Amino acid sequence: MKNVLFALLALLATSAGAQTTLKFSDLLGRTTVRGVEFSDTVKKLNGRRVELRGFMAPPLKPKLDFFVLTKQPMATCPFCTTAADWPPDIVLVIMPPGRELDPSTRLLSVTGRLEIGVKRDDETGFVSLIRIYADRVTEQ
Amino acid sequence: MNKGIHRKPTLLMIALAGAASAATVGVQPYDGARFVAGQQFDLRVEVSGLKNVKSTVVTLDGKPVTGLAVTPGRDGGQNHMLRGLSLTRGQHTLAVTVTDDAGTTTRSATWTAEAPTYTARPAKNVILFIADGMGWNTVNAARIIARGYNAQNGNPNGLLSMETGLGGMATVTTSSYDSFLADSANTASSIATGQKVLVNALNVYPDNTDDALDNPRVETITEMLRRLRGAGVGLVSTAFGVDATPAAFAAHTRRRGDYQAIADQYFQGPAKPDVMLFGGSRDFIPSTAPGSRRRDDRNWIDESQKLGFQFVSNRTELLNAGGTKLFGLFNIDNVPSYLDRAQYRTKDMLGDFTDMPYLWDMTQKAVQTLEKNPNGFFLMVEAGMVDKYEHPLDWQRGVWDVLELDRAVDWAKQYARQHPDTLVLVTADHAHSISAYAGYDSSKQGREGVTTYEKGSFPTYTSKLDANGIPFPQTARGVAVGFAGTPDYCETYGSGPVFLDPTVSDGKGGFVPNPKICETPGAVRRVGNLGPADAQGVHSADPMPLFAFGAGAQNFTGMMDQTDIFFAIARSMNLARAGR
Repeated sequence: MKNVLFALLALLATSAGAQTTLKFSDLLGRTTVRGVEFSDTVKKLNGRRVELRGFMAPPLKPKLDFFVLTKQPMATCPFCTTAADWPPDIVLVIMPPGRELDPSTRLLSVTGRLEIGVKRDDETGFVSLIRIYADRVTEQ
Repeated sequence: MNKGIHRKPTLLMIALAGAASAATVGVQPYDGARFVAGQQFDLRVEVSGLKNVKSTVVTLDGKPVTGLAVTPGRDGGQNHMLRGLSLTRGQHTLAVTVTDDAGTTTRSATWTAEAPTYTARPAKNVILFIADGMGWNTVNAARIIARGYNAQNGNPNGLLSMETGLGGMATVTTSSYDSFLADSANTASSIATGQKVLVNALNVYPDNTDDALDNPRVETITEMLRRLRGAGVGLVSTAFGVDATPAAFAAHTRRRGDYQAIADQYFQGPAKPDVMLFGGSRDFIPSTAPGSRRRDDRNWIDESQKLGFQFVSNRTELLNAGGTKLFGLFNIDNVPSYLDRAQYRTKDMLGDFTDMPYLWDMTQKAVQTLEKNPNGFFLMVEAGMVDKYEHPLDWQRGVWDVLELDRAVDWAKQYARQHPDTLVLVTADHAHSISAYAGYDSSKQGREGVTTYEKGSFPTYTSKLDANGIPFPQTARGVAVGFAGTPDYCETYGSGPVFLDPTVSDGKGGFVPNPKICETPGAVRRVGNLGPADAQGVHSADPMPLFAFGAGAQNFTGMMDQTDIFFAIARSMNLARAGR
């Protein structure tokens, strides 16, 4: 992959400030057959600025204003089928309005505001539990 | 892991040559359909290309069919629908005559209803094991691993339990209504109903509407047994609960991905299973619960208990259950492979689900619950993860789940010996292109370890067994197993304690070998032969085994099309007599 480095460097002075580094293993608390519980860590960081590293799931389109970040690289496109067997620990990354990026297969670092809770995207029908409103995405 | 692509449903439309009218007429059930006498189905006639229709006459064996609901069809056409028909023994002809300004068009379909000779010692109970994706070669690899050979003289040490003490045995081939290839939905539907069904469809015929849930339906063996005899019905699977194979015994939809509707049909449809034990709780919990896949607030865990089900969510609770209706969900998604549950036990693969049952636990408890019904029972047990790991080329996880299944079959065979009115069947829905193509010397890496002919020596898996009597995949002399149809991937001759997808997206609609797998020392990068859009292995057209034990097992022999399984079960149970 050539020069698809896409740093959307620090849009806002405030958001460029302190951030907490999250790991995929920090995201969820206990999972039971009745559903997934958020970890105390993400509950505490809800609304705050975080950094998370992971892989971009197979994208829906060539230019992205949102994508799914996963712990491991995956072959399944989350939007292409309702039948996907998704791990619960995936994160929806929403790009700032007007900012789009190219698909990537490399390890990504995503920084932005964390939001948790069940949310359904009206356009795609995709249900997300954890979202990052990104201000910065870089390839590692 | 079939992608559940929904193709526009179409009825087979044929304009008869020489007909004066330009109208085309489609009929479902299709010409040549076979039923068991008394089996219910929906009739649908779709007419298009009409010019001021004057009359549409539908007759069955020359007598007008009444009660057809008429709705507007496509392009000014008409749809005619009548639900819940059934036939008496013999051949029947449905004829449609359409007259419009341009003249007259006719179309007919011939159907056969079978009512075989009375069986003196019929089966009252059926335990049907379906290993998803277990073609003959998958069974063969499982046997080589589990039994091995006498290294002194080369004789095999024995057979799998599913291969011994047979009352009947067949080789099964399959195909779909719209392809010579097949998916788990239409294949399980063929076993459940005796019909050829569209890929990705469950127990319905095609129609011309977009609604996947309004298609003409055909009654399943489970629904017939419930309706005609009040028999009990049980569904068990290691896959998520609304996956295609269990769904084929209690649901109807054009689209197997209608998970929420399938979950609802389990509790509200005509099959009404008394026992449901599987993974995949996401389709049974309300949309407000993080992790749910539903779009409404329905909570079947809570509602099932109001309907009289005992609910269990782990192995301990399952083994202690004692009611007559049992609902068990053991994971939020698929239950991971036997190797993950019994041997590797990594946090990555198990998560918080550290007390999941084995397939033999589920089988045993399902039977013990269902046998309380004096009218008999039909239990379908799916080893659902064989296919789910064959798809991503993880042959070890897939084949070891056959060994787990074999222990469940062994218990069921004992049950059938003690209960001679029980028929036990073991088969698959479709195959994968798997092959035990060489031996493997694990003291070496990559291709250097592959051994052929006499250098293959004998596998050593049986030298060390786990607490369940099942070998470990790590052994000095192993088997090299692979697949004929693959994407580009890295071959490592085995898998590790954490499952990895064979490919990852290239970001442009294609796929590349998973770099994490390619990092394995000795990994062999292989160019694939499937299309660039395929990220994993696919179902093949290879043959499958069927092993039969107990009452009626003699009805399963020779070469069988998959639809024949339905008729042989009905024959073994004298089911058609009730519908004569």
